[in-house]
Amino acid sequence: MTAIRVEGLSKTFRTKTKAEGFGASLRGLVRPRWRSVDAVRGVDFEVEEGEVVAFLGPNGAGKSTTIKMLTGILVPTSGRAEVLGIESASRRARDRVRLARSIGAVFGQKSQLWFHLPPSDSFRLLGAVYEIEPAPLARRKAELVERFGIADYMDVPVRKLSLGERIRCEIAASLLHEPRVLFLDEPTIGLDVVVKREIRGLLEEAAKRDHVTIFLTSHDIGDIEKVCKRAIIIHHGAVIVDESMKELKHRALAKKFIGVKYTAPANLDLPGLKPLKRTEDAARFEIDTRVHRIEDVLRRLVERGEILDLTVEDESLENIIAEIFTSRSEEDARAASRARPTSALGPGTDSGGGSSDEPGGAP
Amino acid sequence: MNRYLLRARKYGVAAGVSLRNRLAYAGNFASSMATYALFIFVFSRIWTAVFAASGPAIAGYDRVMCIWYFIVAEVPMFGFGHFFHTLAQDMKSGQVAYLLGRPYSFVGYHYADGMGAALLEAGILLAEGILLGGLLAGALPLRSLVQLLAVLFSLLLAGSLQFLLQFAIAMTAFWFEENTAFFWIFQKIALVVGTLLPIEFLPEAAQRIVRWTPFPSLAYAPARLAVAFGPASGGLLLEQAAWVVAAAAVCRLVFGVGRTKIASQGG
Amino acid sequence: METRKRAFARGLRSYVRFLATSFSVNLQAVIEYRANFAVQFFGMMLNNAAFALFWGALIARTGGIGGYGFPDIMFIWALVSTSFGLAHIVAGNIRNLGLIIQRGELDVYLLQPKNVYLNVLCSRTVVSAWGDFAYGFIVLALLPGFGAERLALFALLSLSGAVIFAATFAAAESLSFFMGNSAGITAAVREFLLSFSLYPETIFDKGMRWVFYTLLPSGFIAFVPLAVYKSLDWRLVPLLGLAALAYLGASYALFKLGLRRYESGNQMGTRI
Repeated sequence: MTAIRVEGLSKTFRTKTKAEGFGASLRGLVRPRWRSVDAVRGVDFEVEEGEVVAFLGPNGAGKSTTIKMLTGILVPTSGRAEVLGIESASRRARDRVRLARSIGAVFGQKSQLWFHLPPSDSFRLLGAVYEIEPAPLARRKAELVERFGIADYMDVPVRKLSLGERIRCEIAASLLHEPRVLFLDEPTIGLDVVVKREIRGLLEEAAKRDHVTIFLTSHDIGDIEKVCKRAIIIHHGAVIVDESMKELKHRALAKKFIGVKYTAPANLDLPGLKPLKRTEDAARFEIDTRVHRIEDVLRRLVERGEILDLTVEDESLENIIAEIFTSRSEEDARAASRARPTSALGPGTDSGGGSSDEPGGAP
Repeated sequence: MNRYLLRARKYGVAAGVSLRNRLAYAGNFASSMATYALFIFVFSRIWTAVFAASGPAIAGYDRVMCIWYFIVAEVPMFGFGHFFHTLAQDMKSGQVAYLLGRPYSFVGYHYADGMGAALLEAGILLAEGILLGGLLAGALPLRSLVQLLAVLFSLLLAGSLQFLLQFAIAMTAFWFEENTAFFWIFQKIALVVGTLLPIEFLPEAAQRIVRWTPFPSLAYAPARLAVAFGPASGGLLLEQAAWVVAAAAVCRLVFGVGRTKIASQGG
Repeated sequence: METRKRAFARGLRSYVRFLATSFSVNLQAVIEYRANFAVQFFGMMLNNAAFALFWGALIARTGGIGGYGFPDIMFIWALVSTSFGLAHIVAGNIRNLGLIIQRGELDVYLLQPKNVYLNVLCSRTVVSAWGDFAYGFIVLALLPGFGAERLALFALLSLSGAVIFAATFAAAESLSFFMGNSAGITAAVREFLLSFSLYPETIFDKGMRWVFYTLLPSGFIAFVPLAVYKSLDWRLVPLLGLAALAYLGASYALFKLGLRRYESGNQMGTRI
């Protein structure tokens, strides 16, 4: 079954602008000024059950708005969002309840746990909210407590937990009722490196063990790389990129970084190549593989002296995405994402089926 | 400027600053003004009902006097009744220790700071009260300029006494961690003795006891002056002034003792 | 396929279980705040004692106000206290609803498969409310004519009173959906409703009294129950129950209206 189906989803916010000053406030009462913000503009995509999808975008791109529409918190201006066949914005109570029972959500900035109570009480309450029978609830709770390693905090009031401990409890709580789709909005924000790794591991495990479809937004590329198999990038309210992680990484193959260190000072003037960094005996080069063949560059470097160390790196995923993020308009963004046409696997192969172009829906 | 003027000036500035800050939170006035108006309205109805059933006068008061009494008596309660919370906060947070080092009278500074803003609020409420009183009870019972001045002066004394007593209670923080209960007791007694009811309405025995306490000087005095100005009024004012002086002395004493306690314990 | 009757019964049971769990969980938190509770209880008793002295002294002079004697005033205080307490025990979030709306914290409740109105209001309990709740019973025991029948009557009256309190407060807080900062108005509504309920109805003009049966339901919370209690007229109890349900319905309708606005995201100050 299609876990998530989004067609032409749009959201425009119309708010009254509050002007400064008393006179303007008075005028505002009589003739209010409206401000329109197109947060989401015609987004389309589909996610199958079992997928683990990253939903990326810079601040203000429309990520949170989209997730809110998917989970039924926000009503779209136009278009349609369906989760597990249920329309997210449905007014029918029955639909809302069915949807709520089959999805879980973790909002990094907002807590679903009762703040002044310990997690064990929150679990009890959630058990009642989601109508989980006592026996299965106890079993599921024990399982999650063990998997998430939160046994020590179960009786500590949530407000006393550290962020990392709290997030672990939050994710565990969101899986209590065995949802089929799990939405996570910035779950690792503010966490340290070690905890982030733990969380990622837990999410991976959840995807495998609980067969839950995961839809994750994050600013952390590490989250994306390690947990997700597919990336949907949104910018200025529209989808710019929608492809598998493999394809996304292949975009990097046109750019390589070569770092070389010699045992003794060497002549590192290579015609046609300008080093990014350079000392007497070491240098780092950026190579556009469309222009220079790696074999040629390496041969020339070997000729210059005895090599102590050599590194060959891909363009980081972070940089690719950063370039997409920093484009000022949608057109730039699309251009940026299209800028890497061939892979270094050789001429004639394209970078994986259906590559970079915009899915459906005109801008 | 000579030394005394200079010294006085710093308190004036403190009062001014606190006043301006208070003005910034204009919204807060709306809340106390609304509550004040509500109470005046309700009590005007109570007194109307009381006198409709019981005849023209009780304990020397008639309907109009009772309503005006209430209007004036509630001004110190609303306007000068909440110093304790900020004072207690300062004590608890250890602000005290910092302020001890400053070159001014501790009590004096806090007095200027507290009263600056409170006078404004009290003034606004009094104006509101006069307006409401005119609507609900008819003409102001003031018969001379002297009476007006006396009432205003009495209100000032009442406010000062409120401040000093609350200050003294706040300073029990030197010895008691949880002293809010003391303030509540004080506040409730002040409510019953002279604010909600003129003292003459209390049972005889209670009246005799109460006259030896500072409570009549907190709300009863200005209210009584407003509705029954006469030969006894001078005595009331003197009584208020005496209590103010006494309270100030107590504050100084308590503060002195407490200060040494801080110095020896580090706060 | 489940029959509609079965589904309804199951739904009802699940709500009861949810409310019961919420209640018991929050109760445990209350026990944790024992010391704070004791102080608050003391403060409440002190305040009530002050007013009892006021009424006592005044009625001693006048023999009664507007047909209300001292026991009548005490009954009203007892009933209002217990109703108010009960409302805040069961629906502890009625005081915070405005803030919750403003901060966008309703999202959490929107995600859950339970009625948002009930869910958000009942997921908290107010510690000090237990003091108010108990106070009423204590005073009641001291009033003349106390017995099993009056106790039962009092319990029912406080139940309907609690529903009306909760509904009215929730409605006032729901104004936050429509106006940015409604804190002033909701505080005023709370203050006014509580105050008017504690004074004899008869001191107010006939012209004003319609307010007590509409916008500020003091009539249903205090005045009518007093009459019912004194005369032991059980016939009026179902009517009060209906009034309570009517207020609940209106409050819920207002909330739902506001919720639609919230879900459209077009409130002022929405965090996108």
